[in-house]
Amino acid sequence: MNYNALFDAIDTFFRTPATVTDSRCHVRDAVDMKRIMITVMIALAPALLFGWWNVGYQHFLAAGESVTFWSCFFYGFLKWLPLVIVTYVSGLAVEVLFAQIRKEEVAEGFFVTGFLIPMIMPPDVPLWIVAVATVFAVLFGKEVFGGTGYNFLNPALLARAFVFFAYPSVISGDKVWVSHAPDAVSGATPLAIAMNGHPEAIPSTWELFVGTIPGCIGETCKIAILLGAAILLLTKVADWRIMIPVFVGGYVTAIICRLTGFCPIAAYDQLLMGGFMFGAVFMATDPVTAAHTRVGKYVYGLLIGILAILIRTLNKGYPEGMMLAILLMNIFAPLIDWCVVQRHIRRRKRRVT
Amino acid sequence: MNYRITKGLDLKIAGAAEDNPLPLMPSAHVYVRPSDFRWLTPKLLVQQGDVMQVGTPLFCDKKDERVVFVSPVEGRVEEVVRGEKRVIEAITITCEKDAATEKTVDFEEPLDAESTRKLLLTYGLWPCLRQRPFSVIPSPEAQPKALFIPCFDSHPLAPDFNILLRGKEDQFLYGLKMLQRAAGDVPTHLCVREGAENQLFEKAENVQKHYFSGPHPVGNVGTHIHLIAPLDKDETVWYADPQDIARIGEFFLHHRLCFQKMAALTGSAVKRAGSFSTIYGADLSSLLVDNLTQENVRIISGNVLRGNALKQYLTLGFYDRQITVIPEGGKREILGWLLPGLKKWSLSRTFLAWLTPKRIYEVNTSLHGGRRAVMMTDVYDKVFPFDLMPLQLLKACEIKDIEQMEALGIYEVDSEDFALCELVCPSKKDWQRIVEEALFEL
Repeated sequence: MNYNALFDAIDTFFRTPATVTDSRCHVRDAVDMKRIMITVMIALAPALLFGWWNVGYQHFLAAGESVTFWSCFFYGFLKWLPLVIVTYVSGLAVEVLFAQIRKEEVAEGFFVTGFLIPMIMPPDVPLWIVAVATVFAVLFGKEVFGGTGYNFLNPALLARAFVFFAYPSVISGDKVWVSHAPDAVSGATPLAIAMNGHPEAIPSTWELFVGTIPGCIGETCKIAILLGAAILLLTKVADWRIMIPVFVGGYVTAIICRLTGFCPIAAYDQLLMGGFMFGAVFMATDPVTAAHTRVGKYVYGLLIGILAILIRTLNKGYPEGMMLAILLMNIFAPLIDWCVVQRHIRRRKRRVT
Repeated sequence: MNYRITKGLDLKIAGAAEDNPLPLMPSAHVYVRPSDFRWLTPKLLVQQGDVMQVGTPLFCDKKDERVVFVSPVEGRVEEVVRGEKRVIEAITITCEKDAATEKTVDFEEPLDAESTRKLLLTYGLWPCLRQRPFSVIPSPEAQPKALFIPCFDSHPLAPDFNILLRGKEDQFLYGLKMLQRAAGDVPTHLCVREGAENQLFEKAENVQKHYFSGPHPVGNVGTHIHLIAPLDKDETVWYADPQDIARIGEFFLHHRLCFQKMAALTGSAVKRAGSFSTIYGADLSSLLVDNLTQENVRIISGNVLRGNALKQYLTLGFYDRQITVIPEGGKREILGWLLPGLKKWSLSRTFLAWLTPKRIYEVNTSLHGGRRAVMMTDVYDKVFPFDLMPLQLLKACEIKDIEQMEALGIYEVDSEDFALCELVCPSKKDWQRIVEEALFEL
């Protein structure tokens, strides 16, 4: 069935494949990558639903209009819809092309990547930039290394990093986080406000937690993200060995930063600001780009948390330290694994002698 | 010593055998298949039409001609079936209705290792022994580090050894003694399940008894070796199935050579599961007549985690003690990845079936998904009780990086130890085949 990757992808999307086992093990676990990916998408759903509403809410708030819940919701939905369509079309085009060339089936990894990319973009980002970023991320983040499962950088974050460095004006500053904000209104994210020396101006902890603040579409509501985290941990799709250490590392670093006077923000507010939580739950836990060994996962998670807060507090130019911390640790994950494996090998050698 | 493992899993599936003897018609054909023995290159010793007694050599190992494989029945060679590249697929022996299935032989009681080994070799009992690493028949000169006797089977639907060994207690104990003599003065480890009925095994003398508890693969010999006396490069241990030990005991105690064996018929696609007694290689078709719940089934010699699908020859493999029949899968479900999955077995909790932990599942042979690159990095750790790194070891095996495989402890494991990894793999990798091919490279 490999002669047509696109046909095959659509066919198995609607109906489970008819393949039967032909090896020594005659029965198999019912889970497959499709099921795992759909579980991640279900976990992302609460954050997305809130994101739709919040995009509209922030827009009408800035415009000074008072509208119904559903108006906010649909405003955000209509902002999101073109983004997600552009992401999927551009990303899947690359995926299908490569699957066809390699005579493989289309891997499901992009379903989640394509779902994540719009959620970590500001609402008004130009569509062509999203398309370019997506194609860049899929091509150079994944396909050149062999496709899903062989990549070492998180493709969704790579897309965001691409926009961040190639088109900084659309994803940083004060104007981009509220959809069509009037010029008089500052739409700065709480994180930017805090890092620019106005820690007194950040919203209350409760607002940060609920998420009625400007920011990327998916990252603002911490309740929804925690719900997603619960789904991921309960279904055992994400590994707690990564997720928990990120929070621990971030919290401890934030406390140290506060005590040493680098940053006046409370440690728990640090965790609630920006993309820290979203990154910890949905980005750092990507099993392919994270460390693969159990011990390595603790180290990897801790370092992400520590680095994210350090980048934030020590370098005011990059308030969104989470993205950079995760990408940096993606690069270091194989090294961490190598050290863990070597330690294991040395320990085995000692047992022998 | 007591050992408790926590990693692993017991696959709860329907079709367990009760203590219920099933009738089996004497078979007119016996099929001896060299493929029952791993990596064996056979050298044929008989021709079509040759008259066979029980114990007449059929073929030998090309690498060591002292290792012979003998006819389990009295009869006549009907055909030597060859497959691709003239590989011997089976030797078909036709036998009369009252053909003998045992033979009395004369010999002097062997007193040392060498003469014991020689008798085992001559009468085709040597293949009852296997060695780790590689799970192959040991060389007649080899000196093992230890002898392992796994006295229970933790595979899904595995038969109870007390049923298999009923009436063979003396033979087992005597066989154990002779095996120890053949192996030389090495420690013998008898591995039994803690809390199970072990009266027979408790009677064994001059052995170290180890008590195991926990989920499968707690009964695998690889697990036992790893926990009791881990293997290093250039070391070997021998192991044997208790039924085969009883066969050796019968031979030395009563001078009777017999390839009779007890086994269980299990699986959700049979109407009456139970135990049966067969001769090695005998055709088992009569067991399944009017005993299948549906037409499209897979008949496996062995269990669902590691067994051989039987197509042409319906016989029990030399080392197997179980026939499992399960429905063939392959039914296509509309949007299957989206359904709640109340009846789907999965180690992950992505199907709602995890809410009913006591459910007994009816499994089929569906692969349940497409083959992918390895993405989930933690699933193997959960079912792999060895102090090794399964993902890294499997990846080293896949690319046949021998140095890395050795460093990560390939000699301690075999393909069967990765059966659970294969079962739970969301990327649908055939890990057992990958490991077996990698072992072949060493």
